[in-house]
Amino acid sequence: MFSTSSQREFWTFSDESVLALHREKHNIGFITKHGQHIDENQRYNFFLSPEEERLLLRNYELHLKEFCRRFQPPMPKGVTGTAFQYFKRFYLYNSTMDYHPKEILATCVYLACKVEEFNVSISQFVANIKGDREKASDIILNNELLLMQQLNYHLTIHNPFRPVEGFLIDIKTRCSLSNPERLRTGIDEFLEKVFLTDACLLYAPSQIALAAVLHAASKEQENLDSYVTDMLFKDAGSDKLAVLIEAVRKIRSMVKMVEGPARERVRAIDKKLDRCRNQENNPDSDIYKQRMREALMDDDITYTGTSRMSLDTSGVTQVLSPSAS
Amino acid sequence: MDDQACPRCKTTKYRNPSLKLMVNVCGHALCESCVDLLFLKGSGSCPDCNVPLRRCNYRVQLFEDAMVEKEIDIRKRILKDFNKKEEDFATLREYNDYLEDIESIIFNLVNNIDIINTNKRIEQYKKDNKEAILKNKAKIGREELELEEILEIEKLNEESRRAEIVRIEQEAKKQKIREKELLIDELMFADGDAKDILTTFTQNIANHKEEAAPILPKVTQFSTGVKFTRGSGQQPLPIIEEGPLYKYEPPALPDRCGPDPPPISDIIDKGYLQHVRPESETEKAGGYSSVLPCLRALQDALSGLYHAS
Repeated sequence: MFSTSSQREFWTFSDESVLALHREKHNIGFITKHGQHIDENQRYNFFLSPEEERLLLRNYELHLKEFCRRFQPPMPKGVTGTAFQYFKRFYLYNSTMDYHPKEILATCVYLACKVEEFNVSISQFVANIKGDREKASDIILNNELLLMQQLNYHLTIHNPFRPVEGFLIDIKTRCSLSNPERLRTGIDEFLEKVFLTDACLLYAPSQIALAAVLHAASKEQENLDSYVTDMLFKDAGSDKLAVLIEAVRKIRSMVKMVEGPARERVRAIDKKLDRCRNQENNPDSDIYKQRMREALMDDDITYTGTSRMSLDTSGVTQVLSPSAS
Repeated sequence: MDDQACPRCKTTKYRNPSLKLMVNVCGHALCESCVDLLFLKGSGSCPDCNVPLRRCNYRVQLFEDAMVEKEIDIRKRILKDFNKKEEDFATLREYNDYLEDIESIIFNLVNNIDIINTNKRIEQYKKDNKEAILKNKAKIGREELELEEILEIEKLNEESRRAEIVRIEQEAKKQKIREKELLIDELMFADGDAKDILTTFTQNIANHKEEAAPILPKVTQFSTGVKFTRGSGQQPLPIIEEGPLYKYEPPALPDRCGPDPPPISDIIDKGYLQHVRPESETEKAGGYSSVLPCLRALQDALSGLYHAS
């Protein structure tokens, strides 16, 4: 149940500004750690600004959506929703410059497949990825534990899909609305867009589901307001109703505002990222390869070096930062 | 009996008093030494009819007519599969027909009439009634086990009762001897009339007997099998110190943060289930019911609706 979940307690935020604050903090944190040699005013010429990171992530969310849509075997909607949640949660507390979104994206989907009990093996999974598949599977498996750690092992995700089913059952049973099944296309479109917004970090899945149902109904020139006010919220106070109406309005407006970022802009940011990203986490860089070798050696010789190998990346960067800077 | 002879070595009972004839499923007899000789390897064929046989299936011939032995064998084999009981049939008539069927099958097999068709019939029956046969077999096994248990218990009871009777008899004997001695002593040393003493003694003995009416220990038994004897030797149950009784308190429901979902009775009665895929037969066996996903969807839909940031 959402009301007692870790999702509500730790991952549902009060306001968009809180989200922005978190993201900015980690952007600045990364820059101050890695950009000491650059002049304060010049830093954003080299590093990504919080806005640029947002744009980049938006773009990669589109990629995520495409990836899940094209995935073979076709995956259930719940996996996509869960992967989106993981992706958003991860970048609340991490910078894109630290971990490249393209790597985290695949890892999120892979983990979501596992958590949502959509059974694919890693070889089956990387068959969906273009390019070097062996490298991809290495990256995914290496990042999987890191991702779980960054999610604080809160892996259960409450998606809006089941609540939608619940509302449809309830509407079919208690409402006189003719053929509620025709709302489905509208609902699906709406939910697809919802995942491109931050709504799932701000509102309960049932609220998002209700917004989707109401939106689809209004598209079909139907009005379900009386269902909400006279049935769902019959026994609740008007204050609660007001909160819900505000939430639904906000979710709908967020969905309306969704637009894909400009291509050229994103391409430029991508290029910039290739230069400024944390090379320790770039599997193509020499420093990363060396670190992996060291870790392997450590593993062979003695187990005292586990702190180096631990996925607590702050520890790793501390150990290695003299050589990095 | 004297004309009993082994068909192979022609030994007769007269020449070899320890001759033992053995039969196998085909019903042809052989003497013990011939069986030893022919079935050295464990299996071989019957010298009379060439049917392949196993040595371990040979047993001592109980009836003079070997055909009877054969019939017993066949009957045993057939009844293993044709093991329906009267309860399995709707009417007595059907049951009787079934019994008659069995008899005709056995008769056919014993007398080599239409063997192929009969065997086909048996196979067909086995195929058609596979489940029922298995079930009845298990049932018979269980019944036999229970019967054995009951017999065991009865045997034990019988033994204890016999021991008790022996003890009482011995006691009575001793008592008699003691009384006799007492009487003789009295007669020897008392100076009253001998007739008087005799009558008082007989009276005393009669009184005693009435008092000592056999107090056989009454044995009652609990269904759990615990023996429970009233009277001597029974120890009082130890008293266990008990704390306050456990009281069930339903766990507090967490705040749903939304309207209450309809109770299960409403889901069933008010038509929610018309909009959910009904469960299949196999799913039902696994404990699944379409009420569950319906309730879960409704709970998920309603939980968190009041959520306010």
